Amino acid sequence: MAEFWVNMGPQHPMTHGLWNLRIKVDGETIIDAEPIIGYLHRGVEKISEVREFQKVIVLTDRLCYVSSITWSHAYCLAVEELMGIEIPERGKYLRVISLEIQRIASHLMWLAAFGADIGLLTMLLYALRERELFLDLIEIMAGLRLNSNYTRVGGVRNDVPADFEKSCQRVIAHFLKKLDEYQDLMENSKTFLMRTQGIGKLSKEDAINWGVTGPNLRGSGADVDLRRTIPYEVYDQIDWEPAIEKDCDCYARSIVRMREMRESCRIVLDALKKMPPGPYRMKPPRRAEGEAFRVTEDSRGEALFYVAADGDDRPYRVKIRSPIFCTLAAVPQMMRGHKVADVVSIMGSIDICVGEIDK
Amino acid sequence: MFLVFSAVEIVGAILTVTSKKLVRAAFWLLITLITISGIYILLRAEFVALIQILVYAGAVPVLLLFGIMLTRKKMLEESETSEAK
Amino acid sequence: MSGSLLTPNLVGLCRSLTEILLGIVKAIFDALSLPGVGSWFVSPGVVVFFTYLIATLVMVMWAALVNLLSVMWVERKLYSRIQDRRGIMLGVPWPWSKKYKRGMTNLGWGFLQNIADGVKLLQKENITPASADKLLFHAAPAIIVSSTIMVFAVLPFSENFYYTKVALGVLFVLAALSLGPFAIILAGYSSNNKYTLIGGLRAAAMMLSYEIPLILCVVAVVLLSGTLDPFQMVAVQERPLMGTIVPSWNVFSPPQMLGFVIFFIALVAELERIPFDIPEADAELVEGWTTEYGGMRFGFLFGFKWLRAFAGAGLLVILYLGGWNGPVFATVSVLGYPIPILPQEFWFLLKTYLVVMVIIWISWSIPRVRADQVLKIGWNRLIPLALLTILGAAVFKTMGWF
Repeated sequence: MAEFWVNMGPQHPMTHGLWNLRIKVDGETIIDAEPIIGYLHRGVEKISEVREFQKVIVLTDRLCYVSSITWSHAYCLAVEELMGIEIPERGKYLRVISLEIQRIASHLMWLAAFGADIGLLTMLLYALRERELFLDLIEIMAGLRLNSNYTRVGGVRNDVPADFEKSCQRVIAHFLKKLDEYQDLMENSKTFLMRTQGIGKLSKEDAINWGVTGPNLRGSGADVDLRRTIPYEVYDQIDWEPAIEKDCDCYARSIVRMREMRESCRIVLDALKKMPPGPYRMKPPRRAEGEAFRVTEDSRGEALFYVAADGDDRPYRVKIRSPIFCTLAAVPQMMRGHKVADVVSIMGSIDICVGEIDK
Repeated sequence: MFLVFSAVEIVGAILTVTSKKLVRAAFWLLITLITISGIYILLRAEFVALIQILVYAGAVPVLLLFGIMLTRKKMLEESETSEAK
Repeated sequence: MSGSLLTPNLVGLCRSLTEILLGIVKAIFDALSLPGVGSWFVSPGVVVFFTYLIATLVMVMWAALVNLLSVMWVERKLYSRIQDRRGIMLGVPWPWSKKYKRGMTNLGWGFLQNIADGVKLLQKENITPASADKLLFHAAPAIIVSSTIMVFAVLPFSENFYYTKVALGVLFVLAALSLGPFAIILAGYSSNNKYTLIGGLRAAAMMLSYEIPLILCVVAVVLLSGTLDPFQMVAVQERPLMGTIVPSWNVFSPPQMLGFVIFFIALVAELERIPFDIPEADAELVEGWTTEYGGMRFGFLFGFKWLRAFAGAGLLVILYLGGWNGPVFATVSVLGYPIPILPQEFWFLLKTYLVVMVIIWISWSIPRVRADQVLKIGWNRLIPLALLTILGAAVFKTMGWF
């Protein structure tokens, strides 16, 4: 059979978001792939030029709607460096707690989508059920489940109630038991191993050259976790380990994310213990001048915000670097030589969220 | 009864050989083979009839269709219904 | 050996019913002073015709209405419970439940949901794609439906609940199930959609390649039982096992244990269930060979997947699990007719539904296997094991061990 291009998407039941993937197939084998994005472009960078600093947080929340607090947090860090302010200690701890809970929720969403793609439809419901517990925690903290608008330039919006630590401990104790169960369900199932081992290989050098970051890079064996290499907030005072796997395939990336969920639980419990009392928010100056950028470890990789201001109370330019935008460039290499049925495995293991790609 | 079966079979065989679309030929072949097995039942050879359905009607038209599908030139860029080979 | 609910067999019951009904018709015509017409109605040919007509109606309704709806209900409730949710709940609620109000239908046990889905599919428009091949497009669901219902003509539910006694019953079931792949290719091709075409080809390839271990395992069972007749096969399995009180179901002999597992796996693949779900995998390139079918045609293709599951499970039960054997706790006499407390139909249905539940359980717990891996499993692993089963069965038969 001849080679021809096939469109997967933009309307497709199982691509997580609105984007198009054109693959060139020869029979059942993939020869080339070309992602086409831009269907979800909302102009976040441009709109943030006409809104005040605090009001941009509403937009950055919705960049990646699955893991929203991490994106707003990156923006707030960049603006705080621009303004040269330092937020109170309790604010930093609260931010770390909310970030890690959001990371767990985001990885659970990944697990749900990945399971459904592979064919294990029950995992969709199980992971979403656990995600509900974490969304409830975020709701206690911030008032909203998704897109919670919790971080502010200068701290966080509000303090947590007194029994938050107990709720967290209860949820995490329940969740860790369930996580063991899901890890068992996925990893001891021969069909899962057949679908993910050896698929989508991306060697360490290739990953670094293409600019892949986050769990995808750590699944290829590189020891790069920005919470450790460039610590921000209070990550250097909390006891945790990054999760690294050496196999470079889809299976390794899945294991990395599972382990990261466990580490995030540890971080949350540790931060809750170490959190000092005190103020959690300070009032930032209204205007700012200069330029600054900060990188943070988003759930999917390295999120970079570059904010430039010229003395006005709005940013002059906000530039966003999304991790999955760069990972998509490495996707054709990961897919060559595999079969069409592996496309969903590979796409699922990269954990795409189109909102942050298209901004 | 025999007349009904044989009439259907002869019609099916003629349509198999003369139909312009290959896939329809395979369909009429299936009909022909099933009515042949019906005639076997009339001759009180049930085992042969069932084996005919199992082996012939179950596998041979499928083989034919696989052969058609996998050896076409411009397979998926032109409309299949107007193929006349 | 009594123990079935229908004391003369199904056809006998229908014959009595027919004679009563035609007697009434004859009486009407006699009263209208047309005795010639009346006695034509009671002539043997007409009685036989109507007998078999009513028996067919009963069998088809039993298979397709009662059993299909039950299997669908079992599946939807079971997989919802696996997924930690309640599942379909549209039905008449129990009157003693706490939240019962008059007219409320969403707290029930869910049986009516399938009927509601069926009605929904009935009232949809049957769209035929304009450039589809009309003959083949309409013929494909017809072949699938008819080949599935044909199975119920020879599959006995108990000693007396059967439609016909065919001496080659098991072979008939296999032949009927082997018409499936052809209809799938037809359906995929005639939709004039390159994705359904590829999907149909892949589905047919998978079903064809898994028919071989299926038939080979049946050969092993036939070697040991010595007959293709389902009645004889069940009767053979009723003997006690080597001096114990356990009946010697075919699954208890070592080669048949292997054969049971292989037959089960091949059955799951024939039924296109997850883990062998590639024809209908909606995550992949091809949306499945049923994409272009709308309305009740899709309802047929979709619903008869479950009916094939039921038929396949019924075959598995007859071959390996002893059919309708089970303790028929003896009989209470009602009006001189012995009524068994746990009739044979109950045991057959119990075993069949247990097999169906295991199939559903596996379906919803395992990821999907990739297309080429499916074929690799079928040809490289299952066929040698099936041949080994035949070898083992032949050894056991010649040694007289079982």
